[in-house]
Amino acid sequence: MRHAKWPVKTLVAVVGVVALALGAGALGQAQQGLSGEYKIGVLEPLTGNLAAEGKRHLEGMEIMRDLINERFGGVMGKKLTFVVGDAVDPTVAASEATRLATQGAVKIIAGTFSSTLCGAASEAAARQGVIYWETSCVDPRLTKRGLKNIYRTEIDGTGFGWYNIEFIAKHLAHRLGKKPNELRIAYLSEDSSYGQSVTETARQRAKQEFGMQETGVEYYTFTTNDLTSVILKLKSQNPDILHHIARNQDAILFWRQAREQNFQVKAVVHAGATGYGSPDFGKAFGADGNGPFALLEPGAGFLIDKMRPEGQRIERAYREAVKAKTGNDIAGGHQLAGGGLWVLKLVLDAAKTDDPDKFRAAVLGLDLPTGSALNGWGVKFDENGQNSNPRVQHYMLQWQNGQMVTVWPEEFTSERGKWIPLGPWDQRK
Amino acid sequence: MHAVPQLAVSTLLLGGIYALIAVGLTLIFGVMRVVNFAHGEFLMLAMYLAFWSFALLGLDPYVTLVLALPVIFAGGWLSYRLVMGPVIQASHNVQIFTTVGLSIALQNLALVLWTADAQFIRTPYYAVVVRLGGAAFNLAQAVAFLVAVLATAALFAFLRWSYTGKVMRATAQDRQAASLMGIDTGRVYSLTWAVGVTCVGVAGVLLAPVYPVYPTAGLQFVLIAYVAVVLGGLGDMAGAVIASLIVATVEVVGSYVIGTAWKEVLYLLLFIAILLVRPAGLFGQRGAENIGV
Repeated sequence: MRHAKWPVKTLVAVVGVVALALGAGALGQAQQGLSGEYKIGVLEPLTGNLAAEGKRHLEGMEIMRDLINERFGGVMGKKLTFVVGDAVDPTVAASEATRLATQGAVKIIAGTFSSTLCGAASEAAARQGVIYWETSCVDPRLTKRGLKNIYRTEIDGTGFGWYNIEFIAKHLAHRLGKKPNELRIAYLSEDSSYGQSVTETARQRAKQEFGMQETGVEYYTFTTNDLTSVILKLKSQNPDILHHIARNQDAILFWRQAREQNFQVKAVVHAGATGYGSPDFGKAFGADGNGPFALLEPGAGFLIDKMRPEGQRIERAYREAVKAKTGNDIAGGHQLAGGGLWVLKLVLDAAKTDDPDKFRAAVLGLDLPTGSALNGWGVKFDENGQNSNPRVQHYMLQWQNGQMVTVWPEEFTSERGKWIPLGPWDQRK
Repeated sequence: MHAVPQLAVSTLLLGGIYALIAVGLTLIFGVMRVVNFAHGEFLMLAMYLAFWSFALLGLDPYVTLVLALPVIFAGGWLSYRLVMGPVIQASHNVQIFTTVGLSIALQNLALVLWTADAQFIRTPYYAVVVRLGGAAFNLAQAVAFLVAVLATAALFAFLRWSYTGKVMRATAQDRQAASLMGIDTGRVYSLTWAVGVTCVGVAGVLLAPVYPVYPTAGLQFVLIAYVAVVLGGLGDMAGAVIASLIVATVEVVGSYVIGTAWKEVLYLLLFIAILLVRPAGLFGQRGAENIGV
C-alpha cells in the first residue's frame, strides 16, 4: 500500500508536466502564427464631455484587438497593436490625428465615434495621406467631401432616420391601432450634426413616404441644465410618438423632467449608442426607465442563430470576450467599435498591405451579405467609402427593467416590445 | 397662460442654483481680483463627495452636506495654500494660467480616479414630485433651491455684519490700506478662497441628487455662472444673484417662447447688449476692480 502511492503521484506529476508542455506548445504555436506587429492609430475622446462613450469605444476596440490577435490570426498575419490619441474636441482631434500620423508613424487611424469629432480628425488624416477608418460617427457629410481614403463601417445618420421611421410605420403604428398617416410625431434633438442628420431624414421620410403628421421640431444643446420649457411645448402639441435624438446626460434629464411634468406620450424612439442607447440611462433609472426604444446593434434576446455561420462565430466570441473583460453585457459602443475594427481586419487581410490604392481596392472589393460580420452587419462599400446602409443591419432595442432588449425586427429576437402604448408613469413596471 | 406657473417655478429653481455657484465666484473675484477658472471643478468634486458618501457609507446627500462642510472648507483653504497663495502677487496672466491649470488637473484627476462614466445618486425620494399651484418640480431640486437661498443669505449676512466679513470687505476695497490697518491680507485671501469654494461645494452636494455626476459635470453650470458674474457686475454679490435669475429666465422662458435652439443665443445676446450699455455690468461701477464687494 505504501509503495502504491508513489506511482499515482508520479503519474499525476507526469500528466501535469505533459499538460503544461502541451499548453506552452499551443501558446507558442498561436504566437508563432503571428510574425511581427502591425500598428494602427486609435483616436477617441478620452477626456471631456464625450469621454464616457469614447472610453467605451476604445474598450470595445481593445477587446476586439485582443480577440483578433489571440483567436483570429491578427491582421495580415501580424499582431495588431494600437497607438492611442485623445480627441477631446475637434481641434485636438485634428492635432492628435496629425501626431498619430507623423510621430506615431501609423498608416491607418480608426475612431472617433462622435459626429462632432470625425470631420476634423478625418481631414487631418487626409492631409497626412493616412487612411481614416470611422467606426461610429454618423454625420452623413463625412464620406461626401470627395476625400479618397476615408471609410465608414457604421450606417450614416440618414440610415438611422430611415430605420426609425421603418420601425414606427411598420411596427408601432399597428400596435397602436393606427395607420401610419394617423400618427402624430414630435421631433426633439440635440443640435449636433448627429442629431440633425437623423432627425431631418426621419422627418422627410415620415412625411413624404407615410404622410405622418408632424407636431413640432425642437433642437437644443446637449449640455442644457433644464428641459421643462421643451416639455411644456411638447405637452401642448400632444404627439403620439416622440422621436428624440439625445446624447447621454440630456436623455436622463429629459426623462426625469418628463416624469415630473407628467408628459404622456405613446412611444419614445431614439437612435444610436448615446442617450437612450447608452448604459448610463439604465444605470440612472433602472426599472423607472422602462419603455423608450433605441436603434442599435443587437442586445439581449437577439437570436444569433439567425446570422450566417461566419457572423455567428465572431458574434459569440466577441460577446463572451466583452463579458469576461468588463463583467457586463455588451454595450452599443463596444459593438460599434468592435464591429468596425473587425471589418478593418477583413479588409487588411484581403489587401495584405496598407498601400492606400491596394487598400481601397480591397475595401471596394469586399462584398459580404448581411449577417456575415459582427452585429449582423454585412459589407459593401460605395465609391465614397460608406458601407451600404441596408447592409448595416440595425435593431430596435427597448429598456426593460434596466436591460436593453432586442424587440425588432421580430424574426431576430426572442423578446417582444412592451408598454405599447406607454402607460402612466407609475404603471410601466 | 397655463404654462406661466411652471415657467416661473422652473426659472426660480434653476436661477437659485446658478446664484449659489455665482456668488462664490464673484466673492473670490471681488476680494482677491482672481477669476477662478477651476470653480466648476470644485463643484464636480463636491458632487463626487456626495456620491461616494452615498455609495460607500450610505449617507444621504443632505447629511453629507452638514458633515462635509468643514471638509470642503478645509479643502478650499488647502488649495489656496498649495496653489493660489504662491501666485497671488503674480500678474493676472499667471493667475489665469494657474486656475486653468488647476481646472484641467482636477478634471483629469477625477477621470483617472473615477473614470468618465456618469454616476447617480438614487435616494429613496429621488423620484418624489411636488405639485403646487399648477407647477410640478422634483423634491431634491426644491431642497437645493431652498438651501441655496439660505446659504446665499447667510453669506450676505456674514459679509455685512460679522467682523471677519467686514475685514474681507475692507480688504476688497483697499488692500494696501487694510494691510496698514493691521489686517493680515494673506489670511483674508485664504479665507475668501475657502468661503468661495465652500459656496460652490454646497451647490455641488445639493446638485448631486438631481444631476448625473461625472468629471466634466461642473462645466455646464459654471459657464453660466461666469456670464452671471460679469452681467451682474464683477465682484457685486447682489448683482450676481439677480443676473443668475435673469439668465435662468432667459433660458427657461426664452426657450419656451422663441425656441430651445435659441437659448444660448438669447442670453449671450442679452449679455452683449447689457455690456454695451453698461460695460461694468448691471450693478457694477466703472473701475469696480478698485471698489470690490
